[in-house]
Amino acid sequence: MSEQSITRQNQGSAPSARSSRPKFTWDWVGLAPFFLFAIAFLLLPSLSIFIRSFQAPDGSFTFDNIIAIFQGRDFINAYQTSLSVSIITSLGGGIFGFLLAYAVIMGGLPRWARSFMLTFSGVASNFAGVPLAFAFIATMGNAGLVTRLIESIFNTDIHAAGFTIYSIWGLSIVYMYFQFPLMVLIMAPALDGLRKEWREACENLGGTEIHYWRYIALPILMPTILGTMILLFGNAFGAYATAYAFSGSFINLVSIVIGAQIQGDVLYNPGLGNALALGMILIMSICMTGYVAMSRRAARWLQ
Amino acid sequence: MSKKSQFSRRQFLQVSAVAGSAALLAGCAPAATATPTSVPLPDLTSGNTIPLDDLVKAVEVEGKKLTTIALPHDWANYGEIIETFKSKYGISINELNPDAGSSDELEAIRANKESKGPQAPDVIDIGVGHTVTAMADGLLSKYKVSTWDTIDMKDPDGYWWAEYYGVLTFEVIKDAVPTPTDWEDLLKPEYKGKVAMAGDVLKSNESVMTVYASGLSRSGGDKTKAAEMGLQFWKEVNEAGNFIPVIADQGKIAQGETPCTVEWDYLSLANRDALAGNPELDIVVPKTGVVAGPYAGGISAYAPHPYAARLWWEYVMSDEGQNLYLKGYAHPIRFNDMVKRGVVPQEMLDKLPPAEDYARAVFLTVEELQAANKYITENWRKVVFGE
Repeated sequence: MSEQSITRQNQGSAPSARSSRPKFTWDWVGLAPFFLFAIAFLLLPSLSIFIRSFQAPDGSFTFDNIIAIFQGRDFINAYQTSLSVSIITSLGGGIFGFLLAYAVIMGGLPRWARSFMLTFSGVASNFAGVPLAFAFIATMGNAGLVTRLIESIFNTDIHAAGFTIYSIWGLSIVYMYFQFPLMVLIMAPALDGLRKEWREACENLGGTEIHYWRYIALPILMPTILGTMILLFGNAFGAYATAYAFSGSFINLVSIVIGAQIQGDVLYNPGLGNALALGMILIMSICMTGYVAMSRRAARWLQ
Repeated sequence: MSKKSQFSRRQFLQVSAVAGSAALLAGCAPAATATPTSVPLPDLTSGNTIPLDDLVKAVEVEGKKLTTIALPHDWANYGEIIETFKSKYGISINELNPDAGSSDELEAIRANKESKGPQAPDVIDIGVGHTVTAMADGLLSKYKVSTWDTIDMKDPDGYWWAEYYGVLTFEVIKDAVPTPTDWEDLLKPEYKGKVAMAGDVLKSNESVMTVYASGLSRSGGDKTKAAEMGLQFWKEVNEAGNFIPVIADQGKIAQGETPCTVEWDYLSLANRDALAGNPELDIVVPKTGVVAGPYAGGISAYAPHPYAARLWWEYVMSDEGQNLYLKGYAHPIRFNDMVKRGVVPQEMLDKLPPAEDYARAVFLTVEELQAANKYITENWRKVVFGE
């Protein structure tokens, strides 16, 4: 088979055989930095996490780290908390971000409003970590500006009524601050790609608004929406600095538990930390696989 | 042709090797004869005190360099200590990661065992609990500074010694909440959403000691029950809604988010000065459950500049160096000796909480510290948050 194709190729390109001989090209050099980067910062670390998940402190092979995850209620609880925060913020950020992007692109806003929103989204989606946590504490914390305003205007103590920003919901609100604009940022070009003619065609054929969304717009946008939501999910799932600056280890996220295992003074158990990270990689892989399957299904509409 | 070129290459190599070694010999001959006779470098293995003059000379030979790690300039006045040491002895200091924790410091020694490069620390300043690991892993080199006898807490062989200590204080914003006098006050309803720690219990020694100190107060000084009772105490603080799980730092204290923070005195007193009345802070040592948190100094067994490292500690542990700690509100470990000899300036004493408060301070042994650390970090989430 391969021999055949080679001869056929040789025959076909006989006149210019010397120049088009696919013997050696330098094309791959352009890709080399990417592959080197992927190997150094993605593949090797993942491999190292995988190997060290099965290592005892003395370096011997063990399943103890993996078993420990299922035995500690702490760890199961941490996965649950991380998953809930990620799901809440990827759904919330996804839905509201989509609506905002739609309003900005399709809502007939003046040009400046649109570029203002997109620039703001670009900045806000990168606002995270210690400054973001402090910003929310300063506005909505116990002594926050908004908290105090509400208290002085309505003359009530909202904390006495059980309100606190230091909870899963509070953290989700903080995360939304960067999730939301990221969705806007990615959805805007996709929405730009929706042509007016499609809607007109739909209307001319007697289709309603629902038909347009059900059969035209959503199927076209679905791969982008799903892809971005996965991105938001991963963004929240792996976040560490923001949550840690926000409330230390109070909210029991996997990333924070890992931090305590590899940096902590006493809990120090890197093997367990690696095993927990392996669990995160596994969950992300499942999500990615789900995404690929779904986007493939969605992409079928386009053909 | 190839044979000829091989021959000539070998010949060339021989010639250049001879020439090179001759040049090398010629170059170092005078130095090699001069150095050992004029300055016999002092012995490092015995750990005995080296007279200051000899030490200074040895440092000159060594290159007048020192590598430190984890010394934040606003922590216990390290900024001034470093600057005065530099100007006094003309030594350049390479400061590695000022914000590193104790385990990071030990890791830096471990990772640079084979390296004498700029990433290998000479001296470390670690939580006393970490000395066990450091010694077990052979990361420390022994040395007894000239003020050795007046140091109250140390390893008998000289592998480490305490340099300074602090006690935990309540750091209170005056207008926001009444000033508590003892741990049990923190359970009162007026502290709802007001009580914070300055670190994360799972990671920070300071917060573990906060839990321990409250327990020591409850147990009436019984060290064996302190860890357990401390967790119980914070469980009650949390259930009362008084505990805010935010890590209090200067910014959050200034903003008013954490009106009542438990923090080492040297940090809270430094905050009082830095914030300069905006807001006004009240610093109180609790009536009971006063726990001292000492830090331990040591020299890396793999130090690239072993003499500079010893000179550093001679300076830091001298009256002058120890007073600089006090200026940064860290109580030097030789405090009692220095007060007795009257070398602590009165104006410095005036800025501190009353000396009687410090007389109540309880020191833990390294073993007690480790047991408390282990028990508290392992049970913190379970007991306090019921998970």
